[in-house]
Amino acid sequence: MNKVTENLRKTAAKLLQDKEVEMVIGYGLGSEAVRTQPVFITSPEDTEKLVWNSFCVNGLTKYLSDLKTHPGKLAIVVKGCDSRGIFRLTQDNIIPRDKIVVIGIPCAGQLSYTKLASKIDVSGQLNDVEEKGDDVVIKTTKGDFTVKKSEALLDKCNTCEHHNPVVADHVVGDAINASPTTDSYDEIKKYEAMSTEEKAKFWLSQFERCIRCYACRNTCPGCTCRECIFDAIKPDWVGKEIDVSENELFHLTRAFHLAGRCVDCGECDRVCPMDIPIRLLNKKLLKECKELFNMETPGSVEEGGSVIGQYRLEDPEEFM
Amino acid sequence: MKRLLEYVGYDPGRFNARWISGSEGQKWADTTKDMTEKLKALGPNKRFSK
Ligand code: SF4
Ligand code: SF4
Ligand code: SF4
Repeated sequence: MNKVTENLRKTAAKLLQDKEVEMVIGYGLGSEAVRTQPVFITSPEDTEKLVWNSFCVNGLTKYLSDLKTHPGKLAIVVKGCDSRGIFRLTQDNIIPRDKIVVIGIPCAGQLSYTKLASKIDVSGQLNDVEEKGDDVVIKTTKGDFTVKKSEALLDKCNTCEHHNPVVADHVVGDAINASPTTDSYDEIKKYEAMSTEEKAKFWLSQFERCIRCYACRNTCPGCTCRECIFDAIKPDWVGKEIDVSENELFHLTRAFHLAGRCVDCGECDRVCPMDIPIRLLNKKLLKECKELFNMETPGSVEEGGSVIGQYRLEDPEEFM
Repeated sequence: MKRLLEYVGYDPGRFNARWISGSEGQKWADTTKDMTEKLKALGPNKRFSK
């Protein structure tokens, strides 16, 4: 067991013992060696189910919205990117800050299930995982495997803005001394450079495959409307049928509802069962908002409004 | 909005936003004429249709 897991369990056990929180939301071992799953711990004894390793890819903050009426305080484990979701929820008045106890873990990068599954047999159960430099040794009931961390990282971790959580009441693990990376949006620029026809072809082929399962919406810390436009039947703003036209309307509307609010956690993209690159849409709008309004990545600081919901005299007016 | 539509493959001329005050009759007329001509040239939008 690694030190961080050990300290995490101690911190969680103390919070529950002292009755400071009613529940700790964190990661537990998953169904396969390189997966973890969310666990909801309510007794100090159960804190031994908590783990921290390189497979803690899920963002857990959305559970705070689902559990906002749960009695007492909720403790939640966050990585850097997820921690911005905390401020998304508090700024949107979804849950008061004093109902949450944030356990922040500095994160050097998480490994992609898809990338790992293409390299090694992931079907066993995890015994242990050790990191030595760029080598990750994954010990499972189906054998031991060594992979290069740099070859299995989630794409988003290559341009990580906050390895250290932006908010934490308890920090578990050593702070990471990485010089802050500014995303140059090279990937977005590649898609911007395509011709109108190429763009239409690419995006329609993506929208066409969407099965409207709404996993992207359900995992998103910015998608917390009590009455979601995509569920509304009266008025029927967006058609419920699955066809490329309705799907496109869904995607563009959702992207716009998150413009200037998306905290760039990449969860929508990760959970999509159809591998639709949703993040390319949200990231495009993030890039535009940053360029036009000089905005920080939403959720980076406690106070802050959405650029779309504010007016400043110096706002650009390219449509005048 | 315009930038998002262009990003997903709409012709730049298809969506336009202009700020025109109620006292700017001429600007209104010129803008709508200009937009209509451009849109006619583009033809009907085949997306968002059933
Ligand atoms: S984006 Fe940063 S904080 Fe998030 S998983 Fe990757 S390295 Fe960790
Ligand atoms: S998760 Fe993917 S398939 Fe499901 S609604 Fe979102 S984009 Fe469509
Ligand atoms: S739109 Fe996607 S990347 Fe943005 S906050 Fe929601 S889940 Fe995260």
